[in-house]
Parts: sequence; structure tokens; C-alpha cells
Amino acid sequence: MSSSFLFNQFMGGLTTAMFLFLIASGLSLVFGVMRVINFAHGSFYMIGAYLAWQVVDWVHPTGGEFWIAAIGAALGVGLLGAVTERVFFRTLYGREELYQLLFTYALVLILGDAAKFLWGVGQLSVSTPPVLSGSVTMFGTTQPLYTLFIIAIGPAIAFALWLGLNRTGTGRMVRAAQMDREMLAALGANVSIIYTGMFALSAFLAGLSGALVTPIQSIVPGMDVLIIVQAFIVVVIGGMGSLWGTFWGSVIYGQVLSFGILILPGFSLFSVFALMAVILIVRPWGLFGRPL
Amino acid sequence: MNATVAAPAPPSRAAAAAPAEYRTVASRIPWVLIVFVIMATVPWVGTRYDTFLAGQIVIDALFAVSLNLLLGTTGLVSFGHVAYFGVGAYVCGILMKTYELPFIVAFPAAGLGAALFALISGYFCVRLIKLYFAMLTLAFSQIVWAVAYKWNDVTGGDQGLPEIPYPDLDWMSAIPGCADLSDGARFYLLSLVLVAVSLAVVHRIVRSPFGRVLTTVRDNPDRAAFLGVNVRLYQLAAFVIAGGLAGLAGALYGIFSRGVFTDYVFWSKSAEILIMTILGGAGFFWGPPVGAAVLVWLNQIVTDYTQYWSFVLGAILLVLLFGFPGGIVGGIVMLWRRLKRLRNA
Amino acid sequence: MSRESRISVRFAGIMRATRAAPGKLDEVKRANHHPGKDAAGDGVTRRPSGNGSARRRASVRTEGATLMSPFRLLAAAVVAAGLAPSAAIAADTIKIGFPIPLSGPTAVYGKPVLAGAEMAVAEINAKGGVLGRKLEILSRDSKANADEAVRLSRELIIKNSVDFLVGTLTSAEAPAVSTVAKENKIVFIAPTSKSTILTDEKHIHPYIFRVSSNTDVEGLAGATLMAKWKDVKTVATIAPDYAYGRDSISAFIAALKKQRPDIQIVDQQWPKLGEPDFTAFITAQMSKNPDAVYCSLFAGDFVTFSKEATPRGYFKAIKNRLVDGAEVGTPDEAEALGNDYPYGIIADSYDPVLWSGSEPAAHKTFIEDLKKFTHDKYASGWSIVGYQSIYALAAGITKANSTKSDAVAKALPGLTWDTPVGSRTFSEKSHETFAPEYWGEMVKEAAYPFAVIKDPQLLPTSFPATN
Repeated sequence: MSSSFLFNQFMGGLTTAMFLFLIASGLSLVFGVMRVINFAHGSFYMIGAYLAWQVVDWVHPTGGEFWIAAIGAALGVGLLGAVTERVFFRTLYGREELYQLLFTYALVLILGDAAKFLWGVGQLSVSTPPVLSGSVTMFGTTQPLYTLFIIAIGPAIAFALWLGLNRTGTGRMVRAAQMDREMLAALGANVSIIYTGMFALSAFLAGLSGALVTPIQSIVPGMDVLIIVQAFIVVVIGGMGSLWGTFWGSVIYGQVLSFGILILPGFSLFSVFALMAVILIVRPWGLFGRPL
Repeated sequence: MNATVAAPAPPSRAAAAAPAEYRTVASRIPWVLIVFVIMATVPWVGTRYDTFLAGQIVIDALFAVSLNLLLGTTGLVSFGHVAYFGVGAYVCGILMKTYELPFIVAFPAAGLGAALFALISGYFCVRLIKLYFAMLTLAFSQIVWAVAYKWNDVTGGDQGLPEIPYPDLDWMSAIPGCADLSDGARFYLLSLVLVAVSLAVVHRIVRSPFGRVLTTVRDNPDRAAFLGVNVRLYQLAAFVIAGGLAGLAGALYGIFSRGVFTDYVFWSKSAEILIMTILGGAGFFWGPPVGAAVLVWLNQIVTDYTQYWSFVLGAILLVLLFGFPGGIVGGIVMLWRRLKRLRNA
Repeated sequence: MSRESRISVRFAGIMRATRAAPGKLDEVKRANHHPGKDAAGDGVTRRPSGNGSARRRASVRTEGATLMSPFRLLAAAVVAAGLAPSAAIAADTIKIGFPIPLSGPTAVYGKPVLAGAEMAVAEINAKGGVLGRKLEILSRDSKANADEAVRLSRELIIKNSVDFLVGTLTSAEAPAVSTVAKENKIVFIAPTSKSTILTDEKHIHPYIFRVSSNTDVEGLAGATLMAKWKDVKTVATIAPDYAYGRDSISAFIAALKKQRPDIQIVDQQWPKLGEPDFTAFITAQMSKNPDAVYCSLFAGDFVTFSKEATPRGYFKAIKNRLVDGAEVGTPDEAEALGNDYPYGIIADSYDPVLWSGSEPAAHKTFIEDLKKFTHDKYASGWSIVGYQSIYALAAGITKANSTKSDAVAKALPGLTWDTPVGSRTFSEKSHETFAPEYWGEMVKEAAYPFAVIKDPQLLPTSFPATN
């Protein structure tokens, strides 16, 4: 097992990790503030991917259309998230958590079929943007530029989120909402705007990650269901509500998958769920989370 | 947080337990017996397809009732209930197909195997609170799925285990009228009887002092603990019973579908059963079977018209959540009460 | 509005929600048949006509519902379901149930197979049908899922009373549906499933028939081509982890060992069918530095795999010496990949685009008809198997002079029938055709916007029927 091979597997694991981080960060944010697990997060991801394809389809290929598509898709899904929260979610806040969870699941069902209806049931794909379609030789391996981009963007977004949460006034309010929302509302802050904003932001992140994944993976119906379980695993490992927890949770998950294939080839599928179960048994609030 | 906030005693027991003013003519008629008899006549009265649908309803009813033992009675929200269904299906399927054991061995074995797995996983699950509990049940159910998917030699992996044999039902020819029934119809009758017995057992459990403790635990676990109840133990017990029953449902389903496949254990099936239970009404014993019947029937109708069944299901769920949290049975009971009040006023 | 009446309005609402509202569902139905979304461009019935019964059933259910207790409701539902006629009663057509993946990664193969079958049905019906009766296809989306395929097949048999089953794409679905066919004694013709498990000694029964070649045939062809590269000493394999993948690889290795005992298998990767991310498998395989690769990935999986492998230099490292026996040489696959196609690999197809030598006239006509039927600019390489299967069934019905599965099942073994690419015969013993396929290097051709097979060879040239 040469070092270049290990490096290759490591980079592969990092790529998977950063994609998952982008998706899971939104999930974690929503949970931290609103204490609800959003099953429909995977659906937002899928809609982001489809929207990106759609924008690429509409816009005349100029070379920069991918970036327009990515931002457009992210904004579109963010808007979808904001509307969903305002119109539907609001009415469920006083109710049992089970209802909120079921609502998000109803969204999964509805959005899934809506995507099938709008974009058909086949497999769609988007080409890598030309500026990133080359590759670079590193440590004896060939790394596609696009994966390097993704590996760079993960920490960049993590840092941006951290900045937002810890260095801005709004961020302070969000963190306050995470700790004690009743108190925050009692202090006169507009908690409902925070909720809508957070939901929209998480949807934006999900949509963005969906758009960014299109050059690497195919867009198919069912990608929402496949990704949401992985996002759950990451968030559980890292700690629900914790930004850095999600970051490191994704890194761990990515490497376990990547190296798991070598060590126990038949068990990579099993090992991630086992990992999730172990964390929940031993330390339910994850590596970086706080006890609920 | 739960249903105790404003409502009076949850109307989860049927009319017989209610005060005398509810003892109308309606409550004296043995509805359950009537339904059972009607369902038993399906193989003769209906087409082969009707028997097929009825079989599905019956098995789903048992599965949903087992989930409701956790959800409605004990207040435990499980996302991984399908794990026990799957374990039961695979155990029964493997024993009957690979080892060619008779149904009378395989069926209880499936229930026991599922209950055992519920014991092990439940031990860890009940120590967690709400959300983490749900996540861990999901994790265990996906573990079962992953094992079923990869353990090709035993479970058939992605191929699954097609061609599960019917149990030996020749003895049924002795029963008058059953001689010229097909294997499928005979198996349906057998399932109906087994499910009816299981439901009767659950009904007993729910009405017993044990069941009362479960509802106490559901309504206020802290208060129950102060009263000296070992909350964890009762929750675990409910978990194991529910798991075992789900295993029995799974065993029947494997034979009914003529095969056991990994899709039976995927978490979306847990969600389906959850919806069925809530559609019928989680606060009522007969809610889940009603939900099962309605959902199976709806599925057949809707899929005749459109391929967008998920959308319809999601819409139904939305209607339930925003309009009818008590489900169908809840809605009906509410209406019944209103009308009674109108009449008495 | 008073509380009581509000509740009864709400209650009526839930009743309405469960009744089959004609307007809304018609809308959905129309939207369902949107021509723009339908690449296959078929106009043939896809859903059985159960409309009338459903509506009747619904109205029986809602009559007098207001004062009911839950038990009565349940009883009413069951009785209504029981008494309402449930199966479609179309006029005297021969019904063929057709479960096949129409969504997901394998739909790129599944849809054209259905289209080919539908074209065959249209042609046969235009000539008056079989035994004076028209054929009708009832297609369903099996999602390449054994569970779904079994459920759909049973429904087609029990609810729609189909006379025959044709279809399924993958070797996960076909063996499962075969058991349904055996139990219900319905003839089942599998157009594309290649795994030997379908018709081996343990699983053969009178009602199963296979039109495509099987993994032994494919493995022999692949091994023959691989053996030609004299400087290849180490070979790796990558295949989806299910019956077809496993069987094709073991057949390939067995055949290769016979021809080139000096070649070593240095790596084997088994991603699951429908894997969204092949990266880890790609890098793991590259680290073993094989000289060549035998690949059984297909359809959407092959698309994803290629797109991830190419930027990592996978194909460059093996100098494009990859042999894939899962029909990735078809125009359908080539179009899906477009310019990202890994030119230079060797692939096969049921139906080539270019011909080395002269193209049979029957084939020319077939291609022209297919293009017209599907409104596609380029003909699919998969439609031919659907087409062949229907004609096989028609020939069987004609020979048996009956539409009963028992009689047709006796007529089909040993039957020879004509297809646009030559005649085929179902073997007596294992009910398959051992059909060869067209293999060759994938190149860029000026006349086509996608990769095509250069100088396609019909391989294997001879196949000792071992089954």
C-alpha cells in the first residue's frame, strides 16, 4: 500500500466529507435553533441539483453558466425554504415534535414527486465547469481540480458560518436562540425572523451542495432519500447543533467510508450505521455537541 | 408536551370502558366480531384480487398495531420499527426456504427472533430521550438493512429470497367449505386468524394494569418514576412486545408476498407504517387497523390513476397534521361526541 | 359558522379527500402523459382501465358515512372493496404484463426496451394481431428493484389478469419474477437478464424464457477479446454487487483462465448497484496498477463511474484497455455520456450502429421504423430485445394455436423465430438463445454525435451450450 495510494484515498474521503458537510451544516443549524430534524433537507439538496441542471439548460453555454446555475439553484431553494417555514412550519411550533417531524417527511414525499413530475424520472447530468475540469498531479496521484475546489470550499463555508455566528449581532442572536429561545423572545428579539432566516439559510446551503455535486454525481430520483441518512449520521457523530461538530463529523465519516472499503470491503455500508449507533449509545450528543 | 395538555382521559379504550351514558345500542353490537366474519368471507365472496388486498390489510394492521403499542400507548416515537418486521420476515423466510422447516416452527421463531433483537436494541434505545431514541432506532433499522443487503449467502442480498413456500395447509381441506380454496386463500384465512388472535392479545395487554402503567409512563415519565415505576423497564417491555409482534407480521408478509427482499427493511417502510397509524388515529386501539385498511385501499385506487402516489401520501399526511391530528378514528369519535351532545342538549 | 357545522364541513372534506375526484385526477393523468417528457414517444395504454370501478367503489363507501363508528367504517370499506369489480375488462385483447425500470439509473436501458416491445405490438396489431386478437402491453415501473418487480407482477396477474409476462431488465428482478411466473403458471419472457441463475438447473421451470445471451456467453466473448492483448499480464475487475455482476465476472475469469492462464487477477471491486459515488473504488483499483480492466457496470452507473474515473486518470493508466460486456456500446449509453465517453474502450451492444459488412435489409427497415416510432433521431440499441421478445411470444402463441400459458410454454422450447438481426432459437433444455452480441472498440465517428463501435464483431463465434 503505497503512500500515494493512501493519499488518494484520503483525498477521496475529504471530498465526500466536504460535500456532506455542506449538506449537513444546514441540518445542524436548523436543529440547533429550532430543535427539529428536517427530513426534507435531502429534498432541498435534490431540488438544488435539479434546479442547477435546469438553469444550465436555460442559460446559453458561455463557460460561466455553471456558477450562475449554482448560485441560482441555491437561492431558489433558499426561497423555497423560507416560504415553507413561513406558510406551514409556523403553525406547528407549539405542537409535539412528532408532528413537526412528520411534516418534514410529508415534504419529502411531496417534493420528491414534484421533482419527478417536473424533471422526469431518468438520470440527468451536468458537465464540470471548464475552468475546473483539469487535473493536478499531487504526491504521485492525479487529483481532479473540481474535487480540490470542493475540498477548499468546505472549510471556507465553515469559516464563513463561524464568522457569521460569532462575530455579528445577528449571529449572537442566533446563538442565543440556540441556548434559550423563550428568554430571547422575552427580551424582545424577533425570534420568528430568526427562525425563518435560519431555515432559509439551511435550505440555501442544501441547494448549493446539490448544485455543486452535479458534475460529479448523476441527478436521479431517490437521491434525496439516499443523502438524508448520511447527513443524519454526520450530524449525530459530530453533535447536533454544533458547527464544528458537523465539520469533523463529516471528515470522520468520509474517511471511514473511504478506508473502510479497503479494510472491510463488504462492511462499509454496515460500519457507518454501526458508528452512528455506537455514538448514540455512548455519547448521544455527539463529539462536539451539548447534552439536550 | 403530549396529549395530556387539555384533553380529558384519552379515548383509547372502546365503548365498553366508557361511562354508562355511552352504552348505546351501537356499543352492544360486537363490531369486532362482525368485521372478523366479513373479512373471513372474502375468499368466497370476493375475487382473487380482493383476497390479495384483504391479506395485505390484515398484515399491515398487525404491524401498525404493534407500532402503536410503542407510539400511542407508551409514547415512544420509533423510526426503526421496520427492523423487527424485517428480522421476522427474514427469519421465517430463511427457516422455511433454506432449512425447510414447517411454518409452525418458523412463525414463532420469527416472533422470538424479532423480540430478541428488540430486547438487545431496545436496551440501548430506551436509555435515550425522545430525539436520540428516534435516531438510534433508525440506526438499528439501517444496520439490519445493511446486514440484509450484504450477507448474500444468508439473506440473498439484493436478490432477496424469492419463492418462500406456503405453509402446509392441506389440513384445511377438512374444514367445511375450504376444500377448494387456493393456497393463497387458505393462507389468507390462516393469517386472519393469527392476526385476530394477536390483536386480541394486544388488546388485553393494553387494558391490563401493565397497559395502564404504560400510559402513565407516556403521559408523564417523571411522575411515573416518582411513583416508583421503573420507567426504563416498562418501556423496554413494551419495546420487546411490539418488536415481537412486528416480527410476526413480517413473517406473514414474507409468505404473503412470496418473497423477502431488502426493501422490506428500508426506513421508508417505517415511515409508511407511522403514517398508517396516525392516519387511523394513534390514540385509539382500532386506529391503526382502520388506517391500514384505508391506506391500502387508497393506494390501489390512486395508483390506478397516477404514478405520483408519494405526492398523494404526503398530501394526506399534511391534511392529517393540520386538520385531523386524531386521525380518522379521532375525527369520527369527535363527530360522534358532538352529535351525541347535540342530541342530548 | 357554528362549531358543529364546521366540524361536519371538515368531515365532509376528509370524505372528499378520499373519494376519487374526477377533475383533479384527470389533470394529474393528463400531466402524466405529457408528450414532452416521454422520450419513448409511445401512445400505447400504460394503465389499466379501472376507472369506473374505483369511482363506484368510492361512492359506496361514502354513503351514510356520518353516523358510523370505526368498526362499521372498516367493515364498509372491506365489503365495498370486495363487491366492487376490481379487474380491468378490456375487450378481448391478449394482455402482456410488462414490468421494467422506467425511472432511476437503469431507465436509460429500460425505456427503449419497452419502446421496442410497443413497436412490435403496434406492427403485429396492424397486421391483424395474433390468432385474430390484438396484443396489449400493460407496462409498470419496476425501478430495477426485485421487491417492486415481484409486487407489480403479482398485481398484473391477480388484478389485471394478464395472459403473459414480458420484461424486467436486471438480474435482480428477473429471477424473482420468474418465481411468480412459476407459481401462477404464466409464461414469462425475460429480454435482457443475463445471469445464469435465471435458467440453471435449480431454477428452470416450464414458464421461463430468456431472449438475451447469458453471462457465460458474455464472459467468453469478453475473455476472448482480453486474451488478444498479449502484453496484458494483470487484470482487475469492477462490477455491481448483485447476481449479474457476480456471474459475469466469474464467467469472464473462468473463460480467461482457459485462454490465458498466465494472467493474474489483481483486484476486484464491488460497488452496489446504483452507487452514487465510485471514487473510493476507483482509487483503490488504480493503486493496484492493473494492465487492463473487465467492467460490468452499466447504464447510469457507468455514466457516473466514467465521469469520476476520467479526471483521475483511470482510463489513461490502463491505456483505455477496459472491456465492458454490459452493453455500454449502445447509442443509449453513448448519448448519455456524450463527449465524456471514454473513447478507446471495448464494449458491446445488442444492436450496433455501424456494420462491418452489409447490413441486413430487415435491419435497415427496423431501424427506420424505430426512429419513426420513438421520434428519436438515432435508434436505440436496446429496443431490439423488447422487439424480439414480443415476436417470440407471438410466434409461440401462433405455434400453440392458443393463448393459454400452458400451451405456449410447451410451444416455445425449440422454437425458432425471425428477428432483424438473424433468427433465434430457444434451447430445449434451458429456454435461452445463447445469442451473440456485437463487440468492438468505441470510437468517435464524424457522422454521429456519440461514440460508436468500430468494426463490430459478432462474438462469441461459437458457443458450446453448456446449460
